[in-house]
Amino acid sequence: MIVAEWKPVNELAAALGSHGKILLVGCATCVAECAAGGEREVETLAPLLRMALQVEGHPVEIRAKTLERQCEWEFLEELDEIIPEVDAVLSLACGIGVQAVAERFPQVPVYPGVNTTALAIREQPGLWTARCAACGDCVLGETFGLCPVARCAKSLMNGPCGGTRKDGKCEVDENTDCVWTLIVERAKARGSLDSLAQVRRPKDWSNSRHGGPKRMFREDLRE
Amino acid sequence: MIRTLLAGSRLERVLSAGHFAVTAEVGPPRGPDPEAIRKKARLVRGVADAYNVTDNQTAVVRMSSIAGAKILLDEGLEPVMQMTCRDRNRIALQSDLLGAWALGIRNCLSISGDHQKAGGGGKLKGHPGCKNVYDVDSIQLVSILKGLRDDAVQQGGDSIEPAAPFFIGAAWTPLAPPQEFRLLRLAKKIAAGADFIQTQAVYDLDRFAQAVQKAVEMGLTEQVAILAGVIVPRSAAMLRYMNANVPGVEVPEDLIKRMKSASDPREEGLEVSVELIGALRQMPGIRGVHLQAIESEELLPEVAERAGLLPRPEVLQGFMLQR
Amino acid sequence: MSLDPEIVVLYCQHCVAQDAHVAVAAEQVRGLTVRPTLMPCSSKVEVPHLLRILEQGADGVELVACPEAKCRFLVGSLKAEQRVSRARGLLEEIRMGGQRLGFSRKEKLSAEALLDLAEARAVAVKPLGPNPMKKGEPA
Repeated sequence: MIVAEWKPVNELAAALGSHGKILLVGCATCVAECAAGGEREVETLAPLLRMALQVEGHPVEIRAKTLERQCEWEFLEELDEIIPEVDAVLSLACGIGVQAVAERFPQVPVYPGVNTTALAIREQPGLWTARCAACGDCVLGETFGLCPVARCAKSLMNGPCGGTRKDGKCEVDENTDCVWTLIVERAKARGSLDSLAQVRRPKDWSNSRHGGPKRMFREDLRE
Repeated sequence: MIRTLLAGSRLERVLSAGHFAVTAEVGPPRGPDPEAIRKKARLVRGVADAYNVTDNQTAVVRMSSIAGAKILLDEGLEPVMQMTCRDRNRIALQSDLLGAWALGIRNCLSISGDHQKAGGGGKLKGHPGCKNVYDVDSIQLVSILKGLRDDAVQQGGDSIEPAAPFFIGAAWTPLAPPQEFRLLRLAKKIAAGADFIQTQAVYDLDRFAQAVQKAVEMGLTEQVAILAGVIVPRSAAMLRYMNANVPGVEVPEDLIKRMKSASDPREEGLEVSVELIGALRQMPGIRGVHLQAIESEELLPEVAERAGLLPRPEVLQGFMLQR
Repeated sequence: MSLDPEIVVLYCQHCVAQDAHVAVAAEQVRGLTVRPTLMPCSSKVEVPHLLRILEQGADGVELVACPEAKCRFLVGSLKAEQRVSRARGLLEEIRMGGQRLGFSRKEKLSAEALLDLAEARAVAVKPLGPNPMKKGEPA
């Protein structure tokens, strides 16, 4: 899912200090899964922000609500009655949700409360690791189910580079596995090491953000 | 053995003629002063057959390798222009290659390039917050170089006129994990078009010899000229640092002890380098050495002299005429 | 402090002796206001709870948990400790003072021992001054 992490609270307080009434809105889907923007985080951030702003001398009224998702126009309707009563919104949704709120309610400033960072899996409690880079040209069938775009720091198609550490970790981060080492291991285990002998051609990045803002259109689903 | 030259560079001619080749590294300055490169050129002139100019090594901004290479050319030294995939997409890489060729550069070493996180964290700030590119990887860049040379074609399919022949280099780090795969990857680089290989610095001769022997058995050393890397050690601390932090560099404990107990570390470092070069000259499959003395290029002439590598052989100069 | 510090103590029935809870009432004792609060379990206390208590004006909160080996929810008290740690970090960030929150492991506390804990917390928060969230307090 999409993962995000809190912006520093003081950064949020600085942005909000000029407003009197704020709506803090959470999202119960992706950002709740990664403990950044769900109901519990809303209930943590609301008192925290009130205290932060009081300490700074800009006391502010904070109303809190958590929507099922902020990326669905239907769910955003729930905010229709509250918005006229506030002068700013702090959204804990991912960038998609924040923009949806801003689009539906252009009359109020909408601030993001989290930094959206990756498409990740929860490997274990408290640990999320990026798995997909939305490159638009999936080659997972050829790399034994391990993505070199998202999980190799250099997105190599013919890795590993010379930077693999002695313990098989990536030169960029001692906690991150060198994914090409993992790919080689899986290939070996399946007796298919020779499939990695082919030189993989340069990737076509045009179906990702590199080709321009993505617009996915399905004629058969139009109303 | 008569062999048509691919790019006609001095390095290629030396290897073609069967000599044990020598390349050396010249690091460009962290500033725009061409005199810095000229000074280094004067220090190392005559030591090697070609001189590598690094490309923003460790992701630290330095004078570009294409500019450094041109300055070396003007000083009468043949450059090996290093090119990483970190900072430039395939358009910029090919454009720079066409420009490099126009300026007279004829050797290019393709490497992935250190991630930009390597640039900060030490004494320097670097640019760890920049975007990286890695549009193509080092092996794909080797293919691109081959396309520009042998088919006069760009990666996307458009032709160039005329062809831009480079003597194509790639790197090999035989001792980094996963070790067995490193040989397969070397084979991939050769399949993609690599003509010469420069390895990561060698200190553990036994383990290196084992890897090279396998390469010989796989027939790889027939297809590509491998130059073994030698970094002149200056202290036990330096060796320890490299052993711990530079992937693929394995330093045997007794070598570290030897440097530590040396009364004159500078002299000991030179001795060690000379011994390494001597052993590498005897190693089947190794056709040269790549010398590096990080920010101490002044040591290289002495190392080369004592290792019996000088003078460098005379080979016919001049470049390939266009086909 | 010019006003008596208000310390909220959270604990479960195993942490405190049966009569102690009844004996410590919400009245001024030893120059502080103690609010003893019986919880089902320390593991049920989450970061929002701790922050809300402070938001409502308490000067300090002491969370009492069972000894680790005696936790009836196995890792419940560990989670409580982690949450207190996180909440302390957040309070430090917003300059409210992490030491407004305390965590201790006790069982069968007497009334006196319970008051000792509260007093210790009051001492810890004293340098911070009164909670800026107190109604009518200057910011």
